[in-house]
Amino acid sequence: MVKKTALFILFCTLLNAWEFDKNCLVCHGEDFKFHIIMNKYTLKYSSEQRIKEAIFEYLKEPDINKSILPPEYIKKFGLKQKSNLDDEKLKKMIDIYYKRFNQQSKIY
Amino acid sequence: MYSGERKSILYVLGLYLSSTILLIATFFTSYYYYEQEQFIHSEKEILKKYTLEVSDKLSALSESSSERLQYPRFEDFNSAIYDIDKNLIFSTIEDINTKNVKQGFYTIDADSYLASPITPYYLGAAYIVIQKKSKDVDILNNLIYIAIITVLITVITSFFLVNIVLKPIRENIKLLDNFIKDTTHELNTPITAILANVETIDSSNCDEKTLRKLERIKIASASISNLYQDLIYLLLNHKTSLQNVDLNLSQIVTQRVKYFTNMANMKKIEFILDIKEGVHFFADRQKMERLIDNILSNAIKYTNKSTKITITLKETYLSIEDEGKGMSKNELDKIFTRYLRFDKTQGGFGIGYSIIKSIIDDYAIKIDIESKPNKGTKVTLTW
Repeated sequence: MVKKTALFILFCTLLNAWEFDKNCLVCHGEDFKFHIIMNKYTLKYSSEQRIKEAIFEYLKEPDINKSILPPEYIKKFGLKQKSNLDDEKLKKMIDIYYKRFNQQSKIY
Repeated sequence: MYSGERKSILYVLGLYLSSTILLIATFFTSYYYYEQEQFIHSEKEILKKYTLEVSDKLSALSESSSERLQYPRFEDFNSAIYDIDKNLIFSTIEDINTKNVKQGFYTIDADSYLASPITPYYLGAAYIVIQKKSKDVDILNNLIYIAIITVLITVITSFFLVNIVLKPIRENIKLLDNFIKDTTHELNTPITAILANVETIDSSNCDEKTLRKLERIKIASASISNLYQDLIYLLLNHKTSLQNVDLNLSQIVTQRVKYFTNMANMKKIEFILDIKEGVHFFADRQKMERLIDNILSNAIKYTNKSTKITITLKETYLSIEDEGKGMSKNELDKIFTRYLRFDKTQGGFGIGYSIIKSIIDDYAIKIDIESKPNKGTKVTLTW
């Protein structure tokens, strides 16, 4: 039973990782500095809840005023496109992103 | 110490001490709050410095791309960080509240805390809490010691001060006592001579006019003799040879009333006697006579002409009631003060009630004085 449960959890994790790779990394690529973006969100929004909300708002309706990147950067590379993912899936992806890259869980 | 001196000393001491203590209390309270403010200010400055140190370390740490971030630790103090929603991120402080942060400076037990908001939110930290051991400053205990010493010094100085203030009064009283003492000694021989000779005059050989004159001389001599006895009693400071015996009080009261009859007749005062036979009291005869004489002579002295004085003696009390001018409440309060006379038109030294008080105190007799101005006075002795 324990073995089965462990296998199920491993399967779910791999499935989630695969989905994050498919939905996020496919565009941003290998060199995208995910930890720098998380650092900027953390500096501006502080708490987990506010960071997740801000990312969600931005991905749903990308806007120069909502972006945490410098305006010069936006001018050069332009705004990202709206996410095609439904709210539930987008929130799930943001959860995975936060879990992987948040700074607070690294503190010891 | 003369009568009332203790009271004066206590009044002045009370007034001086209470005003000084009030002043000290005001000064110490202000000093206490000033010191506390100073303590808070100095603690806050140190904690602010520590907050900046933690903030700098967090700033450097937030730039790191390392997989593990070591939270800054210091020897002199502990710290904790909270996010904007006041959830604890990390802490080196034991027993820290994980769900909320109390802002500003505060102390718990022997520790000082300062919680300050910071921006930007390095590692998500919106608040930094610093905890350090408070400086060991026991302001209150030090103040209590100083206050006790100051109050003691004040008590001692005020005692000397009161003595200095009372010195001239004391000297005046002593002068008065000496004067009375000298006068009394000079009175002794003539009084004895007058009384002895008046008693030996053969009244059968005198005409009516001479008899009246003789009567007046007797009354005057009795008054002087009475006064002489009072003064002697006071001068010897109540140290007359005490002989407490079983006295027939009924007999003594009757005798004393008889003694004062001539004096009363002069003012056409009628004595109404209600004396129970066989009332006994264990006391010194001389003292009891002084007691009764003083109350009776006061009643005669201060009562109006053609009135009545009612004397009642029962098993447990003696009351003497006159229809005289009476006394006000204020006069009644000061009645036992020596040398104090309310009515200067009457003779005397104002020592009657002072003697009464000392005798009733000796025998634990309770005195009750009921008096109404222009109605009369009733003195009741209960034992």
